[in-house]
Amino acid sequence: MSAPAVASLSCSQCGAAIELRTLDQAQSVVCASCGSILDARDPNLHLIQAFEARQKFTPQIPLGTRGTLKGEKWEVVGFQVRRATIDGTSYDWEEYLLFNPYKGFRYLTQYDGHWNDVQVVKAAPKELTSGRQPLVILHGETFKHFQSSNAETVFALGEFPWQIRVGDRAVTRDFVAPPRMLSEEQTPDETTWSLGTYLPAAQIWEGFALPGNPPRPRGVYANQPSHYRPMVGSLAKRYLLLAAIVIAIGALRFVSASRAVVYTSPVSFFRPGQAPESLAFVTPTFTVKGRTANLEVATEAQLDNGWAFFEYALVNEATGATYEFGRDLSYYSGRDSDGNWTEGSKRDRAVLPSVPAGPYFLRVQPQAEVTAPFLEYRIIVRHDVPIATPYLICLALLALPPIFVAFRAWGMESARWKESDYASGSGSDDSDGSDSDSDSDSDDD
Amino acid sequence: MRHPVYTTFGVLLVLLVVAAEVRGWTPMRPNEVKNVPRSIRDNPGAYRPHYRSFGVGHYMGGK
Repeated sequence: MSAPAVASLSCSQCGAAIELRTLDQAQSVVCASCGSILDARDPNLHLIQAFEARQKFTPQIPLGTRGTLKGEKWEVVGFQVRRATIDGTSYDWEEYLLFNPYKGFRYLTQYDGHWNDVQVVKAAPKELTSGRQPLVILHGETFKHFQSSNAETVFALGEFPWQIRVGDRAVTRDFVAPPRMLSEEQTPDETTWSLGTYLPAAQIWEGFALPGNPPRPRGVYANQPSHYRPMVGSLAKRYLLLAAIVIAIGALRFVSASRAVVYTSPVSFFRPGQAPESLAFVTPTFTVKGRTANLEVATEAQLDNGWAFFEYALVNEATGATYEFGRDLSYYSGRDSDGNWTEGSKRDRAVLPSVPAGPYFLRVQPQAEVTAPFLEYRIIVRHDVPIATPYLICLALLALPPIFVAFRAWGMESARWKESDYASGSGSDDSDGSDSDSDSDSDDD
Repeated sequence: MRHPVYTTFGVLLVLLVVAAEVRGWTPMRPNEVKNVPRSIRDNPGAYRPHYRSFGVGHYMGGK
């Protein structure tokens, strides 16, 4: 943008110099010195409104600052602060009017560190009413109603292509489809629609060469894009792919596992209550063949309202290497006001890890407390059996990142809609598109 | 490739499961003892396991 023509005038109220950057497009100009709002079309700068703002605000982008936004050069020519009061709480936001003599006007809005690049749209969107939440469609994109409010201008500075006044009021409705927001402003004279696109503050700071760092955004803004939401679906798909691989490997394993029975004890009995040492015995030697694999020791005991404990030692006869372990079994049953009940099991399965081939025997020391005089039991040893636990653990671990991302996405949507007219019913979660959060911890994959 | 970190994590987990199957790993951790004497065969009642954390606290109840 070449150096724009600027008309230099004097304030009709205080005599301070006033520069008109938008020339004949300006309808009102605010004196930076006394705050009077003057008629820019009048050569004498007739007073429209004396300074009425109760507060003075300082724009974060000074008037007259020139910068680049989305590849185009713009100059900040106007600044206003507007206020919406909802449930007794005032919310102020800033609007910066940008001007390019070839492109016209556009706006930057700022609320709590969240910035939007806003342009007036000429065509009114098509409005639908779906349930209790109105929708509007613009250029094929659906926007959900977010909030309605009454906006009031509380401060103005610079020049404007309309006759601005402090105290100007408009009824606003905001519709969102992150990262875009469609806003309607209704005054008694006209209805205007504008389309905002969420902008990272850093982009503005860089484009306008502003000093320092932009204030950190607070909370989640209505049309703030989320890093997480678009990731949820793709992560879920990736999870399904990985889960399918895990399940396929598991299925292959369940089909191919040899489950070789290397020892089966005869059906045996012992009399509970004797000294456990006196009941200890060793099995005949059995041979485990093939590769190092797991070894299952299954115990079946005909328990009825009692428990049994088997102290095992699996001994490699060749090397003396021993695996010691104990197994509890208990089985209780009865009947009460709820009907029949049972607890526990008459069967147990211990799967020892990484047992190499070789000759083995089991040292078994049973003990029990049962109602019958004898306890019947049986021991079966199998080599290379499939177990589901590693697959289930794997599937659970694989699910953690998608669950985390989904939780973050849900949290952000929840925070977004908490600020809307639909705060109590969380039904508005699903704005399509994407959003990102202010405290965005970037790329968790 | 989308989600390279997650994909790498997933592939590593799958490889871990395959390795667990090949090596016969299971969650069970029995007490492993070396050089148990052959005399255990002659007098199994005299054998004392190297840990006795089990054998206590059996379920005694029922509903």
